[in-house]
Amino acid sequence: MSWNEQADTLVKAFTEAQTKMWESWCDLIRTAPAPTMPSYSGVVDQWREIASQGLKAWTGESEQVVKDLAKQLLSAQDVGMRFFELSLSTWKAMAPKIESGQDWQTVLDSYSAEFRQQFLQAPHGGVAAVESIAELWRLYQEQWQKLGQPWVESLRRTPRHFGQAAMGDGSAPIELMNLYWDTYERTFGRLLESPSLGYSRELNERLLKGFNAWLEFRRASYEYQVVLAETWAKAFEQLNHKLVSVGQAGDKVESLRQLLFLWIDVIEEAFLGVFRTEAYIQLQGRLVDTAMAYRIQEREIVEGFLKVSHVPSRSELDEAYRRIYELGKEVKELKKALQEVKGGRSAHRKVQS
Amino acid sequence: MIPFPLLLKPEEAFRQLTELNRKVVQGIESLSRIRHDEFRVGVTAKEEIYREDNIVLYRYTPMVERPFHVPMLIVYALVNRPYMVDLQEDRSLVRNLLKLGMDVYLIDWGYPTRGDRWLTLDDHINGYINNCVDVVSERHALDQINLLGICQGGTFSLCYSAIYPEKVKNLVTMVAPVDFHVEEGLLNCWTGCAPGQKNIDIDLLVDAFGNIPGEFMNFGFLVLKPFQLSIRKYFELIDILDNKEKLLNFLRMEEWIFDSPDQAGETFRQFIKDFYQDNKLIKGQVKIGTKQVDLRKVIMPVLNVYAEQDHLVPPASSIALERHVGTADYTARSFPVGHIGMYVSGKVQQDLPPLIATWLKARG
Repeated sequence: MSWNEQADTLVKAFTEAQTKMWESWCDLIRTAPAPTMPSYSGVVDQWREIASQGLKAWTGESEQVVKDLAKQLLSAQDVGMRFFELSLSTWKAMAPKIESGQDWQTVLDSYSAEFRQQFLQAPHGGVAAVESIAELWRLYQEQWQKLGQPWVESLRRTPRHFGQAAMGDGSAPIELMNLYWDTYERTFGRLLESPSLGYSRELNERLLKGFNAWLEFRRASYEYQVVLAETWAKAFEQLNHKLVSVGQAGDKVESLRQLLFLWIDVIEEAFLGVFRTEAYIQLQGRLVDTAMAYRIQEREIVEGFLKVSHVPSRSELDEAYRRIYELGKEVKELKKALQEVKGGRSAHRKVQS
Repeated sequence: MIPFPLLLKPEEAFRQLTELNRKVVQGIESLSRIRHDEFRVGVTAKEEIYREDNIVLYRYTPMVERPFHVPMLIVYALVNRPYMVDLQEDRSLVRNLLKLGMDVYLIDWGYPTRGDRWLTLDDHINGYINNCVDVVSERHALDQINLLGICQGGTFSLCYSAIYPEKVKNLVTMVAPVDFHVEEGLLNCWTGCAPGQKNIDIDLLVDAFGNIPGEFMNFGFLVLKPFQLSIRKYFELIDILDNKEKLLNFLRMEEWIFDSPDQAGETFRQFIKDFYQDNKLIKGQVKIGTKQVDLRKVIMPVLNVYAEQDHLVPPASSIALERHVGTADYTARSFPVGHIGMYVSGKVQQDLPPLIATWLKARG
């Protein structure tokens, strides 16, 4: 059978199998009437949604470990289906060129380049976002919404000031501080009826530091994602090379499972190869370090809010725990010393008697 | 022209895909009917002997009338749970040792809370382990007992034996890391075995987290074999979904693997910095509290057991022990399995307990 025919018939089989999958999962969650199966392109996404509903319905009363296992199982099936779909679309795209006599190596290389570009598109979106401070500030403030709406309201008005502050404009933080000051007056300031400029200034400084830490984390995360995406793309390319070489060697890949496991072996090797490189280790280190630095800044901000609300903070609790720990250790040592003295005395008495 | 990569008939592909889905759907239905009682772990009978803070010392109920006169204390890794050595009746190191006449004790490290954040290696080794050894020794009116240290617990046991050689009759280490700069270990590379590498800042990590979350640790372990452990393993599960016994075994394993306690922050900080990053153990530079660890003081008989395909503790990391201990009675044995296989492989469970019991009994 030719490449074209084979790829076409496999795609057809895949689509039919998906219809079956769709039916069985709809049956599982017993929806009446069953939703209409979506178009071919969106089927995996929608299947995932319906499968996840079925999973919840079925394992709702189960132990956590059972729920987790069921989720993993579904997730493995999902990955497998996506992989099959990707492989089929690759071969379908390559088939006409190979059929027309083009060199498979060139076809594969050009397809891989296209694939890589598509794969890397999402992280490039990240670059654009990194360039827009205002957009980043919006994303950043979204994370703080739960801390108190009045404060968030003031943050909503700050992108311009913050953008300027981030660019080194010294007057911007003052304007920013004024916004907080207003909010503060309307909330905690009135409540406390005490001079609160210190709090406001402190909080402002913490928010700025937090934003910087968050920016660093986003940059590190983006760089890290790029390496992972590159590795995915390379691994897929390597798989296709491997499949071709398997075919040329006269060996056969006769089942989807065999194909999937071959892919897993190839991709695992590709990732582990990258994981060992100096560049990756540095990126991973930076990702974790920036995430942790941001977490510390985040704590600082939260603690600022807690302080004005008379709520003990994480740091204060940690300090209390530290004192308890030290005292506990001291008590243990004293008890031990006392026991030794007692033991020594009784031994002394035994010798005397 | 080169052949099409997948030599599979469309009807066969269709059959395989629908079959795959059928099995997953049926499997999830079977899973939903399983209750926790059916896959309980750590079922071997035991009694609490001693408790201090969050840790508990257990004695497993002996299975012979007159157990071996020198008891054995098991020290496992802080990232684990005690049932790793007692997963199920037919996969239990503890049970097999009991059957062979051993008297087995174990320290359950518990689940550290935020209040345990300040616990150090000193507290674990000079404190908890030392106190448990004293309790066991006292109960048996002995000056020395046997120690079995597993993974990080093996490293702890080595430190303990070097500090208190007079209290340890025989030492068994199992998949224990000793040389932390063995580069085959990805974990070693990530935590900073190569000097000058910009790795994770451990101080920052501990300062930010307090205690290191178990989930964070687990994620790190999974990423060491990302696709095998997150995809292939579950695809292979599909084949055993209709076999309830196998499914229950799988669930026990899942429960064990994902039941990872948080790591006490200060203990984690010192362990990673002194052991992984600076490799101080083999340099004789580790200090536990005020006590120096000199492996040359490990003068009691040592049995070092390692796994030949261990991706967490590379064999070379364990094998290095021979070059650093002071004992004249050193035995190394290996098994052709990975790290996890040491606890769950049927073959290992058949051969490892007799190896340990015979080796200990031969040394009185």
